[in-house]
Amino acid sequence: MTIPPGIIKTARTLSYYSQLEDVTANNLANVSTDAFKADRVTALLTTPGGSPVPVQQIDLSQGTFRETGRVLDVALDGPGFLVVGTAAGERLTRGGALHLSGNGTLVDMNGDPVLGAKGPITISGGTVELQGDGTVAVDNVAVDRLRLVASPGAAQLSKEGGGRFVSSTPAAVADPSVLRVRQGAIEESNLDPIHGMVDLVTIQRAYSANISALRALDGVLGTVANDLAKP
Amino acid sequence: MNPGLRAAASGMAAQQLRVDTIANNLANVNTTAFKKSRVCFEDVLYQTLEGTRIVNYKGSETVGPMQVGRGVRTAAILRDESQGTTEQTNRPLDLAVNGEGYFQVERPDGTVAYTRDGTFTISDTGSIVTTGGYTLVPGVTIPPEATQISVSATGIVSATVATSSTPVQLGQIQLARFVNPSGLESLGENLYAQTAASGQPMTGQAQVDGFGSVLQGALEDSNTDVVTEMVDMISAQRAYEVNSKAIQASDEMIQEANGLLR
Repeated sequence: MTIPPGIIKTARTLSYYSQLEDVTANNLANVSTDAFKADRVTALLTTPGGSPVPVQQIDLSQGTFRETGRVLDVALDGPGFLVVGTAAGERLTRGGALHLSGNGTLVDMNGDPVLGAKGPITISGGTVELQGDGTVAVDNVAVDRLRLVASPGAAQLSKEGGGRFVSSTPAAVADPSVLRVRQGAIEESNLDPIHGMVDLVTIQRAYSANISALRALDGVLGTVANDLAKP
Repeated sequence: MNPGLRAAASGMAAQQLRVDTIANNLANVNTTAFKKSRVCFEDVLYQTLEGTRIVNYKGSETVGPMQVGRGVRTAAILRDESQGTTEQTNRPLDLAVNGEGYFQVERPDGTVAYTRDGTFTISDTGSIVTTGGYTLVPGVTIPPEATQISVSATGIVSATVATSSTPVQLGQIQLARFVNPSGLESLGENLYAQTAASGQPMTGQAQVDGFGSVLQGALEDSNTDVVTEMVDMISAQRAYEVNSKAIQASDEMIQEANGLLR
């Protein structure tokens, strides 16, 4: 027996909403994650009236800044990223709670070096100043400059976890007039929890409506199979 | 299992940790020289779902891969090393550092610990010790007959000894500082230990080479700001709630799907 196309279409729609729910739940879980960029999912219809296919895009809008006063907290003001050297290659991040490793190298939250113009930055001295254009000054002497790259665009980026992004194209050097470094501040998550909450309600209702549709279609099949066959 | 459920659960656990940290900050609102902490979170591994190639009525279009995140985890708990306000106590051995620098004290195992809590007293042997009984390094001994102990802004300890009319210099307090003080390990009792992340201590005298000055008769207050903590607590509580709603929504969706089978 062939399954009626209506049932298949509704089942695909259910799977779409279930994926949407997973993405929304992940966004909400990261409502307090510094520099988190929310994922937006929209539906693409294959044919008019067809079942939706999820299309995802990262929302790169800037989160609000929170002053922390911590010396090694940096927030990026404007579109762009810091570059982190990992074992798997260079990664982009906006997560700015930096640390010093045991040998004085400036590292990100996961312990990988944040790259400057000359590679990893080593700091030994009393005071560290991270200036607006990314210059790293130790005891008032410039030692290096943070490598700041322009955003290659949401379509070129994929997330890796740990606040890191992988770019599919080499990232260009950022324009210092649009991307500034702010020391002692942190960029908050750009997720609006109200938006996320509304998404949750919408997803759940849409899922529920599609379940009802599936049940109705199943009811029709049941009638056909059980009642029509009776003499 | 449904990844949305797990992501939301990790979100609740994260907010719980945030509330725990805020509670500790608030509990220490009156602890001398206490430094508040905050939790840093990061997103976790993303599962990449294959992009589908769709041929629609307008031609062909490829849809990029879809990434579903697996929630949130704690990246670090960071201490805010900003200075608290100084409070006048007028006790001669209450010392505060105005600016950068830690007092150095010796622990029973011989290692040096660092503190900004300058509530010092005199031990039975005459040396300057903390309230926990740890000796100040380098040690300063106060003779039993000494009166009018004074500590200068540069850390010079002097006192008038009964037989003399002029104050006698007894020693000088040395301070230590670190390139990354938030990397220090908290030992409790307001003491910190040096770690690889904090870097090696640089010792020196107060008011020299970027060190702060020593204030006598004053103590540094906790840098916990009650209002900020309360606002953070409200935000953490709401975020906890919204994650519990995400669990509820996921649960109801699964329940409805299960209800399909008659």
